[in-house]
Amino acid sequence: MEIEEKLSVLNYKTDKGFEHITVTPDICEVCPDYFCTFACPAKCYTVMEGKLNFKYEDCVECGTCLFACSHGSVKWNNVKGGHGVKYKYG
Amino acid sequence: MSEFDAIIVGAGPAGSSAAIKLASSGLTTLLVEKADPPGSKNVSGGIMWGNELGGVLPDWEKDAPLERYVISKGTGLLTSDSLISVDFRSRKFESRKTGYSVLRAKFDQYLANKAKSKGATLVTGVTVDGLALKDGKVAGVIQEGDEITADTVILAEGVNPRVAISSGLRPEIGDKDVAIGVKQVVKLSEATINERFNIRGNSGFAGEYVLGFLKNGVKAGGFLYTNKETISVGAVINVGTLRADNETHSFEIMDQFVNHPFISPYLEGGKMEEYSAHLVCEGGIGSVPKIYGDGYLIAGDAAGFSYSNGLIIQGINYAITSGIAAADTVIEAKSKSNFSSGMLRGYEDRLQGKYVLKDLKKFRGIEEVTWSNLAHKALPDIAEETLFNLFYEEGIPKRHLMEIVLSATKKSGVKKTDMILEAYRTMRRM
Amino acid sequence: MAIKIIVMMKQVPDAEEIFIDPVKFTLNRAQARGIINPSDENALECALKIKDQTGAEITVLSMGPPAAESAIIECMGRGADRGVLVTDRVFAAADTYATSLTLAASVKNLGEFDLIIAGESTTDSGTGHVGPGVAEFLGIDQATYCTSLHIENDALVAERDLEDGTEVVSIGLPALATVLISSNIPRRAKLRLKIDALRKGIEKWDHDTLKLPPEWVGIKGSPTVVGALKIPEERKRAAKRITVDQLGELVKELGGMGLIKTEEEEA
Ligand SMILES: Cc1cc2nc3c(=O)[nH]c(=O)nc-3n(C[C@H](O)[C@H](O)[C@H](O)COP(=O)(O)OP(=O)(O)OC[C@H]3O[C@@H](n4cnc5c(N)ncnc54)[C@H](O)[C@@H]3O)c2cc1C
Ligand SMILES: Cc1cc2nc3c(=O)[nH]c(=O)nc-3n(C[C@H](O)[C@H](O)[C@H](O)COP(=O)(O)OP(=O)(O)OC[C@H]3O[C@@H](n4cnc5c(N)ncnc54)[C@H](O)[C@@H]3O)c2cc1C
Ligand code: SF4
Ligand code: SF4
Repeated sequence: MEIEEKLSVLNYKTDKGFEHITVTPDICEVCPDYFCTFACPAKCYTVMEGKLNFKYEDCVECGTCLFACSHGSVKWNNVKGGHGVKYKYG
Repeated sequence: MSEFDAIIVGAGPAGSSAAIKLASSGLTTLLVEKADPPGSKNVSGGIMWGNELGGVLPDWEKDAPLERYVISKGTGLLTSDSLISVDFRSRKFESRKTGYSVLRAKFDQYLANKAKSKGATLVTGVTVDGLALKDGKVAGVIQEGDEITADTVILAEGVNPRVAISSGLRPEIGDKDVAIGVKQVVKLSEATINERFNIRGNSGFAGEYVLGFLKNGVKAGGFLYTNKETISVGAVINVGTLRADNETHSFEIMDQFVNHPFISPYLEGGKMEEYSAHLVCEGGIGSVPKIYGDGYLIAGDAAGFSYSNGLIIQGINYAITSGIAAADTVIEAKSKSNFSSGMLRGYEDRLQGKYVLKDLKKFRGIEEVTWSNLAHKALPDIAEETLFNLFYEEGIPKRHLMEIVLSATKKSGVKKTDMILEAYRTMRRM
Repeated sequence: MAIKIIVMMKQVPDAEEIFIDPVKFTLNRAQARGIINPSDENALECALKIKDQTGAEITVLSMGPPAAESAIIECMGRGADRGVLVTDRVFAAADTYATSLTLAASVKNLGEFDLIIAGESTTDSGTGHVGPGVAEFLGIDQATYCTSLHIENDALVAERDLEDGTEVVSIGLPALATVLISSNIPRRAKLRLKIDALRKGIEKWDHDTLKLPPEWVGIKGSPTVVGALKIPEERKRAAKRITVDQLGELVKELGGMGLIKTEEEEA
């Protein structure tokens, strides 16, 4: 089962008014390792045509990218109340 | 005058246990949780070990949403081709329950609702932004610019405590403090689960495995737990080795585990109903910050109270115990109308008396051995080679066991001196 | 004096958590948790925007089981002033006629009002009957399919999203408007307001409050008869991966299938 298919089973209440995680494109552009793309368990970080692409909508708020990126590119916040992933088992 | 006696940030097991205790003692308590309903962002393997909940809810075994009690405890080493495992089953676990499997979305909601029914004000779907400070003391919380005041704030935010960190009450988390947890919940019928794990009624299986088959030195442990009608399966991944490799995706490790020839038969035909990921608190005592100060206490994962040896994780029970101890401290502080650091120091004393800090001290340095090469690479390979040679019949006289072990050790490429050193370290810590 | 707005809100099972029972082919809602009906969030946001601009007193009105209380508290946490839950076993199993009638009676019981805002439709039954039904029972003007609402010179100015464009209408108060899903970004609840809401609590009304004839409400007051239920045949979807260079071909293909109009046709 592909990760995309696994994520499609999840219930998210996406906050259209607030991106809780943002990256700094200038830093990512010269990234030597792209470790975020290996560490993030929800495949929110991908490299496309040599450029880092980040999508917050699939994020399960695990917190990994916050310290996985050792170049200071990731700004990490809690989602705002009631938004984000909503597990039914957990 | 503060608006509340206590505000608790986070309705996980630590926060809700504290709220139950405080509200039961008549203190005005505000419990704030960002998820709605509570628990819908939390992930555990999860076995709740021990009987800590009895401290606040004497009847918890009757009405808590528990899945199965552990009657069979498996520990195994997985290589690409083999599984070496010990399965300990005992009827003694029937009368003396060691642990129950739980699913956090239900379990945490149960606890939060208990706090509410005891009189706590439960606000869900709201994220606390920061702490309100007055004369250098914590005086409440801040949310969207509003200040809500309390005599004491208990920070029970879990493993990634943004409020505690942004307020400078504890340092940022690093590779060594946490591991990446990934999990899947697979639906199967109760009868199928009973049959596959050879269990009956509400008894269950809890298995943990060293994933010795991973490539390029990546280290991870796997877990396999039975619930009533689902199986929880997942992996706990060491960050340092994943980073050093920089080729393996965290989510692939999950797949490699569930597709392992000796794990997949358990899950065959099941429906993958949920995929989840969450950080696991790993650090041991090395990462425990100052857990009290003027007007605040830190409990549960936020304080680094979790024990993990790379396989078994005990966090829920530590969270509950520390939550109760924090509440007891606040109750005492209230009776003396003193919420200073000197008064709240009693929290640490209370935890010293309990196993929380004792355990963590005893296992000081556990993080060094948790992810040792011995456990994750050498041991699985040596055990496989040894047992294979022991059991494989090729019609020639058997070699002496020690000879087999030594030649397997040699083949594994680990230096004998390194192994003895690591073995010694491991023994000392465990 | 601040105007009085009533927001009608229904708690519905989270559509993301409803699944079709693979054996019985019925909808399994047992595991679905309750949420505010999505377009009702937009209705509330419209009301709160009016409150921000000109001041307003907002009452949230909901009919449903006791568990709907949490949804009302959430609305108050976002800025509604008062919450009323109409809850009684005799109101259960109402169709859209009985639902509209009971809600209209509840509105009357609330006293004077200037504006009622409802969602356009729900995600669980989705008839879109209830808003217009309530307006009819009350005998007031209505504007449906709205995306934004303003109060100007004691009249409601509503933007309506219609198939062939946007219409701006102005109708006298009191009036009822139904609001389309996603027509705004609903604000989040605040801790301060939620604490206040929990302290204040909601009002619970039952049959004794409304005193409607029993044969008008609930299942007895519902003329709808469900004849049969059919599961629509699953439509086969054809997914296709294309590159940017192949876009032209795709447009042609879709045009050929009559699914889109191509430029040549339009010319
Ligand atoms: C994959 C995995 C497997 C595990 N397996 C086990 C196991 O088998 N047994 C075991 O005992 N432990 C296990 N653990 C560990 C266990 O989950 C934790 O130790 C435990 O959850 C800690 O409880 P807590 O109350 O401290 O924190 P949490 O359970 O994390 O609760 C913190 C709560 O605070 C809320 N919150 C955070 N910040 C805010 C804010 N600013 N405002 C409002 N709310 C906020 C969160 O939403 C959350 O509900 C496992 C962990 C993982 C990740
Ligand atoms: C064919 C059919 C058969 C049905 N059979 C049954 C049945 O046997 N038993 C049964 O219980 N239900 C039944 N229902 C469902 C019931 O008719 C509706 O749940 C109910 O009348 C509301 O209609 P709706 O959800 O379509 O609301 P819509 O008309 O789609 O809702 C529009 C707006 O009206 C407001 N609104 C709607 N309902 C409420 C409410 N309760 N409180 C406050 N505001 C509200 C909201 O603002 C909402 O956004 C049936 C529905 C259909 C279509
Ligand atoms: S987020 Fe960090 S690790 Fe990822 S590409 Fe950017 S700089 Fe590199
Ligand atoms: S928090 Fe976790 S899931 Fe979200 S983007 Fe970061 S690593 Fe990925």
